[in-house]
Parts: sequence; C-alpha cells; structure tokens
Amino acid sequence: MGLFTRTDDHEWSQQHLSHYVEGDLGRLARRRLDRHAEDCVDCGRGIRAMRALLRLIPGIEGREAIRAPAGIFDKVRSGGTQGTGGDGAPAPPPDA
Amino acid sequence: MPQLRGPGILDTETRLVARAQAGDTGAFEQLAGAHADRLFAVLLRLLGDRSEAEDVAQEVMLRAWRGIGRFHGRSLFFTWLYRIAINEANRSLDRSSRRPVSVSIDAEVLQVPAGAQDEPSRRAEQAQLRQALSQALAGLPPDHRTAIVLRDVEGLSTQQAAQITGVGQAAFKSRLHQARLKIRAAIGDQALIDAGR
Repeated sequence: MGLFTRTDDHEWSQQHLSHYVEGDLGRLARRRLDRHAEDCVDCGRGIRAMRALLRLIPGIEGREAIRAPAGIFDKVRSGGTQGTGGDGAPAPPPDA
Repeated sequence: MPQLRGPGILDTETRLVARAQAGDTGAFEQLAGAHADRLFAVLLRLLGDRSEAEDVAQEVMLRAWRGIGRFHGRSLFFTWLYRIAINEANRSLDRSSRRPVSVSIDAEVLQVPAGAQDEPSRRAEQAQLRQALSQALAGLPPDHRTAIVLRDVEGLSTQQAAQITGVGQAAFKSRLHQARLKIRAAIGDQALIDAGR
C-alpha cells in the first residue's frame, strides 16, 4: 500500500459509492474502497445510504399506477399525416 | 411496463409496425398505447407538471406516428418511442427555460382509502421521503434527472437507457453515478438509512 493517502482514499471513495453498490468497480478499486470503509465511519454510512437510496427510488411514484391521459392520441386522430414535420422540430430519430 | 408481452411480442410488434407504417392508426395506437402509461409517468417525472406532460405526451405520439417510417426494427419500439419522448421533454424544458417543480405524484394521483392506512406514522414518513426524493430529483440537471428516471425509477437496463438518451453506456453511467451522489447529498445519509430500513 502507501500509494494513496487516507485523504485521497476518502475523497475517492466518496465519489465512487454509486459505482461500488452498482458493481461497477474493478477488483482492485473495490478492494481499495472496502479497505478504506472498514475504518471510515462516513464511507461505511455512505455505502448503506446509497444502498437505501437504490431501494427507495423505485417507490417514488407511490403505490398506484399512473395512467396516461385519455386524449394521448388526439393529435394523431385529428389529422397527423405520416412523413410530415412542419414546425421545425427535429424528426424522430431512426432506430439505432 | 409494456402490455405487449410474452414470447410472441416481437412478432406482434413487427406486424403492428408494418400496419402502422401502411397508415393504420388503430395499429399505431395499439402499438404505442402499450407503452403509454409508463411513458406518461416518465414525462410527468421529467417535467413536473401534469398539464405540460399531457401536452408533450400528445406531441410524442404525433411525432412517432409521423415518423414511424423511420423505425426499422433495429431497436425495440419502446426504446425508439422513449427517445422521442426524452427529446420532446428536453425541448419543452428548453422552451420554458426552467427546471420542473417538484410534483408530488402521491398527493395528486393517489387516492388511498383511509382504511388502507394501517400504519399512519410510517406512511407519513414514506410520503415525506417521496416528497424529498421528488424535490431532489427536480433539482437535478435534465440529463442527470433523465438517467435516474430511466434507470432507477423505470428499471431499464443501462443499455436501453443509454440508447434512449443517445449516449454511450459509459457516458450514461457517469451521469447516473453523479446524479445519485447529488440526491444522496440532498437527502442526507442518515435519512436514507432510516427510511430504507
């Protein structure tokens, strides 16, 4: 070891908590964060907080399904002509 | 998400696309309607205003209908449709030069019967947290907000979400990680840990 100071490790770890919980760190990087978090209360708490965030975000919409408005196809029905643009807006992209 | 499901989904989708490209609006409505609810939820979350989301959703469907000839089946239909939606949402935000207000979908949409509130204090805490998450999300730059909505709220894969936003997977992940860090900072570690228990 000795490549990084504790301050380096701390700032780096704080910036990579999402990578860590997502599994986006390579083996060495993960070990670096694991080792730092063993002794760092802030980073250990940061990992728990990030995991909680990922559990909580899907529930942001509440328990009931959101329904599209009934008139979502009104413009299509009222004379939308295929192959036209007309208002300067970018055309829909071709699929990749 | 899509209501077109099962092993025959791609065949069904291909047939509907072909019919829509031949001018069949009914086929187009069936095709796009399968994704309408989730697409509207995405727009509502990105724009933060129900009326604006409704206008943009209509515009998305119109553009998809007009441009269906440009869809060649190289991606799933819904990723193409969502890409139009993200573009239109961004255009709408550019026009109004604003960030979305924090819409409380819970308060506006949910009509939970009083009898269903078996743990009032717990439910109040969850509603408060949803509000805080909504506000934090609304405070993000549009590209960061989009990353969270597609990946973490909608549960799309990184590949799908990157395709929809028109960036590479590495760039998309970078946005996503930055966005999560900002939300974490806005809510606070202890509040997240307590709420996540």
